[in-house]
Amino acid sequence: MAILVHSSGKVLRFSSREEAEHFLEVTKDNERDEWILEDEENSDAAPSGQASHICAAQGGERKVMVYLTRKIEFSASHLYHNPALSAEENRRIFGKCNNPHGHGHNYTLEVTVAGEPDPVTGMVLDLKELKEILEREITQKMDHRFLNYEVPELKGQIPTCENVAKVIWNLLEPKITQGRLHKVRLYESPDLYAECYRNGASRA
Amino acid sequence: MLPQRSESSVSDQLKIVLGRRYRFSASHRLHSEKLSDAENQRVYGKCNNPYGHGHNYVVEIQVSGTVDPATGMIANLADLDGFVERQVIEPFDHKSLNKDVEAFRERVPTTENVCKEIYQRVKQFPLATLERVRVEETSNNAFEYAGEEIQDRAAVQ
Repeated sequence: MAILVHSSGKVLRFSSREEAEHFLEVTKDNERDEWILEDEENSDAAPSGQASHICAAQGGERKVMVYLTRKIEFSASHLYHNPALSAEENRRIFGKCNNPHGHGHNYTLEVTVAGEPDPVTGMVLDLKELKEILEREITQKMDHRFLNYEVPELKGQIPTCENVAKVIWNLLEPKITQGRLHKVRLYESPDLYAECYRNGASRA
Repeated sequence: MLPQRSESSVSDQLKIVLGRRYRFSASHRLHSEKLSDAENQRVYGKCNNPYGHGHNYVVEIQVSGTVDPATGMIANLADLDGFVERQVIEPFDHKSLNKDVEAFRERVPTTENVCKEIYQRVKQFPLATLERVRVEETSNNAFEYAGEEIQDRAAVQ
């Protein structure tokens, strides 16, 4: 634990001395000298257990989990067809989605990342970076594509909303390194969506 | 061949939920037999007007389950749509909730109660697990119900 005491009397707590030093490094030159760095043995400001699902205790500092959601849109075509089934079964199960030449949707994707805002930047993660990840991993791969033929991750799967949402989860999860991927919700139309999250995660 | 699902620990497993929105239009009047006329007027305001009024309701159903590798689906939408249509939309659409729906003869058809009633009905859907029901009475008022178990879950946390 470390604390920074400002000449005005304001106090900031950090979970380590390194974190406090990092804060000072990025503080404006003329402000830096106003802060005094002190080690803190133990904190008597331990948070109560209440609402611990959103506030995880770490040292004496109450860390608040924040959920950040970014939305993108893409348009793509697909068709539902399982080669292991007869033509008749395919038509019965998939209906007009089995039309051999495919059809398309305007998809809307909502990606939720959970994390604690960085004490220096106030951000869970840099939105610009998230935007670039979504552009690279999703838009470039899926926008204006035929999902069955042009997205290798969907090979051998029926590109239903459920399966596309799962593929999107698997593409994004390893790329999100600040905070963690909490939920993916994919709308195929305004009235139909599939969402993915880890079993046991809170439903924020 | 279609890929098989790989097994992993339950807490690590990805949960997949399907969400579907439906609409119905109906009238209602908020009036409790347990209260006096004056109290009804005070509690429910213009919603207590004697001849009732109507809304365009939006119902959002969330179901979960395993994704069948042969179909890529938790449940066939045609089955879910048919079930909700028969159990909820047909009996509620263009009806007076107070007079035409048995459940609201005794219970005030607030959207909280409408939400719970729809939950009880859709809970019977045999092909997937109902996760939650959201009912939007107007674009500014929404209610959600996820069954009793959500309270247990909140208590654990």
